[in-house]
Order: sequence, then structure tokens, then C-alpha cells
Amino acid sequence: MIADFIDGPFWYFSLTVFTIGIIWKLVTIVFGKRKADLSVARGSGISGAIKTIFSRFKADKGMTPHIRLQVVAGYMFHLGLFALLFFAAPHVLFLEENFFSFEGMSFSWTPMPHWAFIIASEFAFLGLLMLWLHRVLNPVSRLISTADDHIASILTFVVMLTGCLALLESFNELRLLHRFSVELFLIYFPFSRLMHAFTFIPSRAFTGAWFGRRGISS
Amino acid sequence: MARMKFYCDAERCIECNACVTACKNENEVPWGVNRRRVVTINDGVPGERSLSVACMHCSDAPCATVCPVDCFYTTDDGVVLHDKDICIGCGYCFYACPFGAPQFPEDGAFASRGKMDKCTFCAGGPEEDNSADEYQKYGSNRLAEGKLPLCAEMCSTKSLLAGDANVVADIFRKRVVKRGASVLNKGVSYQNASLRASSVGKDK
Amino acid sequence: MSNRFMSKHSQKFTCQIYFFLYLIFFLCLLSPLNVSASGPAASKINNPSNDLWISVRHNTESGKVTSQVKSVDSTVLINPQADRWTRFRMTQLINYGLFILSVVAVVIMLFYLFRGRIKLEEGLSGIMVHRFTDYERILHWMLAIVFIFLAGTGLILLFGRPLLIPVLGHEFFSVLASASKEGHNLFGPIFFVSLLLMLFRFVRRNIYAKGDLTWLLKGGGLIGKSHVTGGFFNMGEKTWYWIVILTGLAISVSGLVLVLPNFGQGRVIMELSHVVHGIAAIILVSVSFGHIYLATKGTEGTLESMKTGYVDIKWAEEHHDRWAKECHDNDRLISAEDYAKLQGRVVLDQNVSASPLMEETK
Repeated sequence: MIADFIDGPFWYFSLTVFTIGIIWKLVTIVFGKRKADLSVARGSGISGAIKTIFSRFKADKGMTPHIRLQVVAGYMFHLGLFALLFFAAPHVLFLEENFFSFEGMSFSWTPMPHWAFIIASEFAFLGLLMLWLHRVLNPVSRLISTADDHIASILTFVVMLTGCLALLESFNELRLLHRFSVELFLIYFPFSRLMHAFTFIPSRAFTGAWFGRRGISS
Repeated sequence: MARMKFYCDAERCIECNACVTACKNENEVPWGVNRRRVVTINDGVPGERSLSVACMHCSDAPCATVCPVDCFYTTDDGVVLHDKDICIGCGYCFYACPFGAPQFPEDGAFASRGKMDKCTFCAGGPEEDNSADEYQKYGSNRLAEGKLPLCAEMCSTKSLLAGDANVVADIFRKRVVKRGASVLNKGVSYQNASLRASSVGKDK
Repeated sequence: MSNRFMSKHSQKFTCQIYFFLYLIFFLCLLSPLNVSASGPAASKINNPSNDLWISVRHNTESGKVTSQVKSVDSTVLINPQADRWTRFRMTQLINYGLFILSVVAVVIMLFYLFRGRIKLEEGLSGIMVHRFTDYERILHWMLAIVFIFLAGTGLILLFGRPLLIPVLGHEFFSVLASASKEGHNLFGPIFFVSLLLMLFRFVRRNIYAKGDLTWLLKGGGLIGKSHVTGGFFNMGEKTWYWIVILTGLAISVSGLVLVLPNFGQGRVIMELSHVVHGIAAIILVSVSFGHIYLATKGTEGTLESMKTGYVDIKWAEEHHDRWAKECHDNDRLISAEDYAKLQGRVVLDQNVSASPLMEETK
């Protein structure tokens, strides 16, 4: 009965909250009222926007010696997570069945080999644990961290851990545990800092456009 | 009750691998899994011996002893079976078995072996006898139909015997008596199978 | 035959006695007891198959052994180590392991009951000294969390069958065991990486030096109230470090052998790795009980070093006098006020008020 709930209504509920939440948040950000820039344009805003989206992937030169752990662990976590989310065999199958199949046809892509999946998850776990421990142990980070920050980290960890526990892909209870944690994650997503997964694009673009219009490379 | 055992007569086995093929076909054994195998010693040399090995269905099965989730059980006939729904694919039964009977379907990077599969003496598993579920997981259940394992039935030289231990032992005893002392000569039994002079001293 | 000393009658009688004695003697020579065990004088016939099957039994067959089945160990007819390993795991590892873990836990509990928490003689002063950097603390807690997880899942796999199946039943326990096995196998390499990072970060401070033997001979101050000397790390901590590194490396290497069977290792290597893994794990877990106890409940003022990175100067003087002296000499003391500011607590007048996310470290 719980299985039907998790595989059925709760899944659709969480998907709806996730999709509508993200669209709503992004719409309010992108179409929100902004202070008009009345100065004469000295450069292109659009090129500044696009350049900044990519230039921010590299940490600021002056900051780098101080935030080396965050940069290294951050990339380990994000790259590992991205790889296992979209290229792990069970996920590829799940996405194909639930999102990309229609009337007997489906779209899919080659998953990575199993050992690569495991290594990607190990990187992701290492990165996430180090980042969260840094947040808790560094006095400055600890002071400026809110409950949202901690819940987001821990919820992500729980999703990854339940996935790891269900690796044999044999016991329904473990699969349901993982799916349930994913659904909680999806519901929490639009109301938290996890939205940075989408908002980093308009955020960087806005900064880049603002300064680009004034002819400053940022 | 009968106590089921295999016996492979090393003097008769000709390494034809019919038992291996029969088992794989009858039980739809997946890729890479070999429930039965034929091992040949000194291939091509006089005195070559071949043995067909699968699960020995031991009375005090070490696989059953070591399993962390206790998924093995022994039927009334002495057949050692396991429950794939409980198996976690840890591989300890493979380490514990002196004969290497447990097999795993996946290559095992990061110990992802999949569930253990092994010779069932064609006796299926814990699912209902001859059900589709049982066939899909464990292969055919010939014992429930009153038949013996297909590997022994298909053996071309009747070297692989399967059945009640007393019956099998009796058959082998008769063979040994008939072969007599010829085995002692060069260790090849049928060379001097009879005491007729024509065959004595032929290959000395 | 004629004899001056015996009558003719006696002589005849003596001869008869001698005759019978010789007869009995010859009969004895012929008795089966005297016949040697060797059969007919012809050459002994040895069963030529004997040698073949003995070498098969002991897996020492050196001739060509082939099989059409090309999987790992498929040409091994009998693995004689299999039984040894099974008996080792089921009788020795499980029984002695449980015994050792229980004894260590009980001894620690008794020690706490009798000795109580080891408090500082002069109490906390509030003047702090910096001891561990952020990175060092992150490494420590990283290793600790991963270790607890691995120990928990490992112990479930080892002791689950005798201890948990009677309580949880087969179906539920196999779900738990499967989760434990997958988690254990995935986090193992993470432990290895964290261990290497710890090894490189702390190795210089853990080289045994002068004063360590004195510490050991005085029982580390655990028994009695004698003062013991120590550098940045005292001898006990150094020993714990080396136990972690050595058993941890043994566990990691054997674990990697076990978790990557796709390199074609035979069963004998796997069994050996498992033995090493199990024994090293029991040692590490039981000594970790002591470490966790001493670092938390056992001594006052210790946990702060790993939580905040700062320790009270009185704690340093009592437990690590040589390092405390260094701190004094290099003027590294931090007043209570400055420390509060470092921790982000705002000092208002005389009161120290905590920010909502901080707990008091008093």
C-alpha cells in the first residue's frame, strides 16, 4: 500500500510541486521588475551575460588559495552527482521509462559502465561530506549557515545514501526508500537554496549583463 | 528417504561436455554462469582424466554454513538449494565451496556480482514446483516430476551418475569389480580390460 | 653325552628337555609373528592414479589442467583452503571477535565507573590555544563518520546471522544485509582516501620522540595521579595514530582486493584478504572504543579540540606540557574575550551572549 503511494500519487505530487515551483521561481526572477540602467551603453550586455556564465566556473584568483577545499570538493561533488544522475544505468532506464517514452517509442542514451557509476558516486560522497563538514566546522561558515543550508546538504546526502543502499536492485523496500527520499527532495527543491541549480544561470547572466553594458569585464 | 548425490566416473568421462550443454539448455542458465564444468587433467597425455563437477550437495554444506543471510536449505532428498530472494550476492559461498559450485552472473567490478546461481540437482527452488517463477529463477524442476538431472541423463558414456547415493555407489562398485586390476597398469582402465592375452602387453 | 655328574636317567631326561626346547624354538621361528609384512617377493604394484588424485585433493596438480569453462578458478577441482576459511570465519572470527569487542567495551565501562571522568586539576581557565586547523578537523570527522558507517555495516554482516536473524527474521535481515553490503563496498574506497589524507597530514607529529617511553611507563596517567609528559601528541595518541594507519591500510588494501574481483584473483587470495580484513577490523573497532571514550567522556576538555580547534591552556599544560610550553614561548595564547569573538559570539559588557546557532563551550 505504501509502495503504491510512493510509486503513484506521491510521485506525481512531488513532480508537480517541483516543476511548477521551478517555473514559478524562475519566472519571478527573470521577469521581475528591475532598476532600469539609464547610463549610455558602452558595451554589449548580452555578450557580457554569456561570458560571465562561463567565466564564473573558475574561482576568483584572489580567493582561490582560501577556498581551495570548497573548489575541489565542490567540483568533485557536482561532477560526480551529474554523472551518476544522468549516466548511471538504473537512472537512464528510469528516465527513459518515465519521461522519454511515448506510444511504444522511447529515447535513451548509453549509460556509463557500472564501475564508473560507483567511482562517480564515491567522488560525490567525498565532496559532499567534506563540504558539509566544512560548513559545520569552519566558524564563519557555521555562523552564516541557516537551517536551509544544512537541510539541503543532509537531504542530498540521504538521497545519495539510499540510492547506494539499493545498488543490488533487488529489494523493493530499498528502492522505495530511495524513491521516497527523492520525492521529498523534489518537494523541498523549489523552496530552498537547491534552486541554485537553475538560478545560477540568470544570476551570472544578470551580473555579466549589468557590467558588460558598462563595458566592464566581470 | 533417498539421499541424492552425483558421481562422475573419471575412467569413463571423455570430456564431451554434453552435461555442461544439457544443463545450460535445460535451466536457461544466463551468460557467464556455468553451473557444471568439465575439468581435464593431463589433456592429450596417456593417463588423461576428466571430471564433470557441479554442486556436490554436501551433507554439511559449507556454503550453507557461511552464508551471512542464511539463504540455503537442504531438501528431504539431500539436495542443497538456496533462496535467491534472500541472497545478497556477497560471494562468501563461492569462497567456502571447495568445488567452486556457486556462480555469479555479473563481472563483479565493485563486488556487484548479482545473485548467486548454482546447480540445483534439477530440483528448482523454494518457489512453487514447476511454476513460471521457479523456472525463471532456478531452472527446471525435474525432481518434482520424478526425473533425474539432465546432465546425468545426457552423459554419452554414462560416466556421470546422479541419483540415490546407495544406488549410484552400487553401480560404481560393480564397475570397479568388473574392471579389476587393469587400472593398476598405467592407470588406464580399459587398456587391459580383460585378461585375454591379445590385449596384454600391447602398449607397454 | 656321557657325564660324570648326572645319572644316566637324568642325562636322558635333560636331553629330552633340550630337544623340546629346540623344537619350540624352531616352531616359534616359523610362527606368523615372525613373518615380515611384505607380501610376495615380486615388485610392489602402486596404483598410478593415487598420485594424480592426491595432487588433485591438495590442489597441487602441476600438469596441464584445462576446462572449456573459462571462469576464475574453473580448473581448480578442489580448493583445500575453502574449509579452513569457513571454519575460521564461523568459529574463530565470529566468536573471538564478539568476545574481544565485548571485553573491551565492558573494561571501558568499568574504568569509567571506577575512575570517572578525568577532570583537569586546576579546572578550565578560559584562555585558549589553537590546536587543529579547519582542514585537520574536517579530515578527522570525515574519517570518523565513514569509519562508523563501515564498522556498523561490517559488524551487521559479520554478526547478523547469529545475533540479528533470530530477532528480525530472514526477509527483513536480508534487506538490511543487502543495504549494508552495498553501503560497505561503496564507502570502503572513501575510507581509503580519507585515511591517506590523514596519514600525510599528521605523520610528522606522530613520530615517537623523547618522553614517550616515560609516558608509557607511567601508564599515561590513567592509573594514579602522576603527571605525564607529552608533546603535541602524547605516546598514547601516537600509538592510536599508528594503529589506525596500519590496521586501516591493511583493511583498505585487503578490502580493495575483495571488492574488485574482476581482476581474476582466485579464491585463495580472496580468502586470505578476508582473514586480514576481518582481524584488522576487529582490532581497529575495539581500540576505537577506547579512543572514542577518552576523547569524549573520558577526559575533560578534549572534545573541544576537534569541535572548535581550540583547547584550554590548562588542558594543554596538563596533557601536553611540552607543546603548551611551546605555545607560551611563541605567545599563542588567546584570551577568553578574543576567543569568543573568534567563535562569533558578541561580547556585550561583561556577558557573553551566544548567537542562536552556537552552543556554549563552557
